[in-house]
Amino acid sequence: MDNVVTLAHGAGGRQTSELIDKVFGRYFANPDLTADDAAVLDVDKGRMAVSTDGFIVSPYEFPGGNIGKLSICGTVNDISCMGARPKYLTCSFVIEEGFPMDKLEEIAASMAATAKEVGVEIVAGDTKVAGKGQVDGLFITTTGIGEMLPEANTSGAFAKPGDAIIVTRDIGRHGCTILLARNDFAIDADVTSDCAPLWEAVESMLDASKDIHVIRDATRGGVGTVLYEIAGQSNVGIRLDQEKIPVDPAVKGVCGMLGLEPLYLACEGALVVVVPKDDVPAVLDALHRGKYTSNAAVIGEVVDDMPGSVMMRTEIGSETLLSQPAGELLPRIC
Amino acid sequence: MCVGLSARVVKVKDGTAVIDASGARREVSAELIENLNPGDYVMVHAGAAIAKITSDDDEESAVVMEKIQ
Amino acid sequence: MNEQALKAKAIIENYSGPELRIMEVCGTHTHEIFRMGIRSILPENVNLISGPGCPVCVTPVGFIDEALMLALEKNVTICTFGDLVRVPGSETSLAGARSQGARVQVVYSPLDAYELARDNPDEQVCFLAVGFETTTPAACIAVDKARENGVDNFTLLTANKTMVNAYRALKGSADAFLYPGHVNAITGTSACEKLAEEGIYGVVAGFTASELLTAIAVTITRLTEGKPFFENCYPRVVTREGSVKGMRLMEKVMEPCDAEWRGLGVIPDSGLRLNDEYRNFDARFRFDIPEIRGKGNPACRCGDVLQGKCRPSDCPLFGKVCTPQHAVGSCMVSNEGTCSAYYQYDFILQQARQQAAQK
Repeated sequence: MDNVVTLAHGAGGRQTSELIDKVFGRYFANPDLTADDAAVLDVDKGRMAVSTDGFIVSPYEFPGGNIGKLSICGTVNDISCMGARPKYLTCSFVIEEGFPMDKLEEIAASMAATAKEVGVEIVAGDTKVAGKGQVDGLFITTTGIGEMLPEANTSGAFAKPGDAIIVTRDIGRHGCTILLARNDFAIDADVTSDCAPLWEAVESMLDASKDIHVIRDATRGGVGTVLYEIAGQSNVGIRLDQEKIPVDPAVKGVCGMLGLEPLYLACEGALVVVVPKDDVPAVLDALHRGKYTSNAAVIGEVVDDMPGSVMMRTEIGSETLLSQPAGELLPRIC
Repeated sequence: MCVGLSARVVKVKDGTAVIDASGARREVSAELIENLNPGDYVMVHAGAAIAKITSDDDEESAVVMEKIQ
Repeated sequence: MNEQALKAKAIIENYSGPELRIMEVCGTHTHEIFRMGIRSILPENVNLISGPGCPVCVTPVGFIDEALMLALEKNVTICTFGDLVRVPGSETSLAGARSQGARVQVVYSPLDAYELARDNPDEQVCFLAVGFETTTPAACIAVDKARENGVDNFTLLTANKTMVNAYRALKGSADAFLYPGHVNAITGTSACEKLAEEGIYGVVAGFTASELLTAIAVTITRLTEGKPFFENCYPRVVTREGSVKGMRLMEKVMEPCDAEWRGLGVIPDSGLRLNDEYRNFDARFRFDIPEIRGKGNPACRCGDVLQGKCRPSDCPLFGKVCTPQHAVGSCMVSNEGTCSAYYQYDFILQQARQQAAQK
């Protein structure tokens, strides 16, 4: 096979079949993976959760993962947050002409490994090749289907005054990793992305508490954006304890250099969970035994004053508002 | 103005210094400070070390508060 | 927080004398004061005013227009601190220019801009040199290296400012200043001692919680004593002589000039520009930029806000057409701008309190 992807691989002919068989078929093989126009799947009674997400990340490889792993984790985590067991995924690739074949294989392999870890099957896919410069490396879109656990009932609108706010690990790792990997600011630090599939963590929490109000995946906008969304949807205030928010020292150092707020750095393996205070010990205990959630911590509480706002108790014992999400993350220097 | 970060000097060479702030490392200009050595602590701003730091802010607050006691 | 900082906090909280106006003149002070919620522990008779210390807030509209002209008409790659990207010019911002195809690169240091120029000799690279004495030396190092190594495709668009005459212009707007610690790290403190003789008082303040609390406590105590004063409350970083090398470098590369401060107008001898030796690295000279008078919104009261003459909420645009999402005035653009900080804290706080009361 060629050592780079060419336009012919996207033309639908022999080379397309070859690419699908030798790369995707080989790694994604499972009984439900279709060779026809659509996958035909068995569904149980009950409700399903469906989600779709597109992945564009530059660079496509970074410490702790690559775009393939990210594309599985992102959709798996979205479904998991609803309390649904991820069952099936589809994936659609748009690949830039000239993309190295061995890198494509690496990406497919890590998608397969991540899917296997979660127990989700990739059942259908699509491949397109775009001309040089029309795409930055490759874009992947995944769609997932999950089976709702009958007792799960979570939503960003269900936070209630008195609830505790938990993050399932230290925050801001993915955003920091990508920032460093782009090398725009010539900073060096040992930080790896938190990119991880979190179904197991969600399942263990749902097992530990029958009354989890909110589970949200803190991705692009970071934990801060999710908290503002929850405060808005539930029409409640949120009060954080600045000192309790877990941040890796190196992430803190990078943020200090560039004047960034870790609460607004992207995560790809951290959840924000809202639970009644009484359930905190059981939920934390379950999380602390998990593979990706061993430093989960309570970072604040839901309150009834200041609806729609996120406040922060500071190191001097006063209170301030967390600045609101501001779109593009820009380093503040002068 | 002027986001500053305190950091430890790891290496000094040809007018530049590598600094480390709790694990975040970067090369910065050392041209604004006389006699910079590895192990020194500096305040860094916009890619230049702007001052040597002589103590931490706990010791400093004792000195400052003495002025008004 | 250490014991001394707790003492300082108690001095601040227990102050009960006549009203005091203390002006911080550093965007990072404003930012940290906001982030640590220091305003919420101040008694009512201590008024902390955010003065013109954020370079973004004092940079005139015309400067952004000059940068936009370089980017869009002169095919120059613009290197800038992230702070300036969303600041509105007369027509658009640098972010807007970028979406029209202009090359706008966010950098951490002027030296990064120099390196970009060195590594891409076919590209004209201009660094937007804003900032005070803290930031200016790094820009001087960059342009000095460019001259030394013949990197002729590098330029600065200067809007560098110096603080001392700004304090003089603001005399009367406040009873005392919190001087920006990192400016004094370079300039030293002799100018502040001289200001005290002229009746302009203040303390050099650092940036941590204990540094800000102790600096404010010292200021309150000295003002209560009623005698002329200057104190260095940031001695672990700031010395009397400052960075001699940094000051020499600025003298070598730049010369004083009058400067326009957005909202305040022209303050004599409050800016720096490249001197004749380095003229060829001045983007205005190299690209023959005509004098541009930017058009700000005439109703915007950023100037009065910067001088503590009015609160942000007294401006007719505030919270209506001017919000952090759609900034009209420069004080709303950067997170540490007075209007932005006020919008994000006090204004939202009041709205929420009203909502809660209606409930």
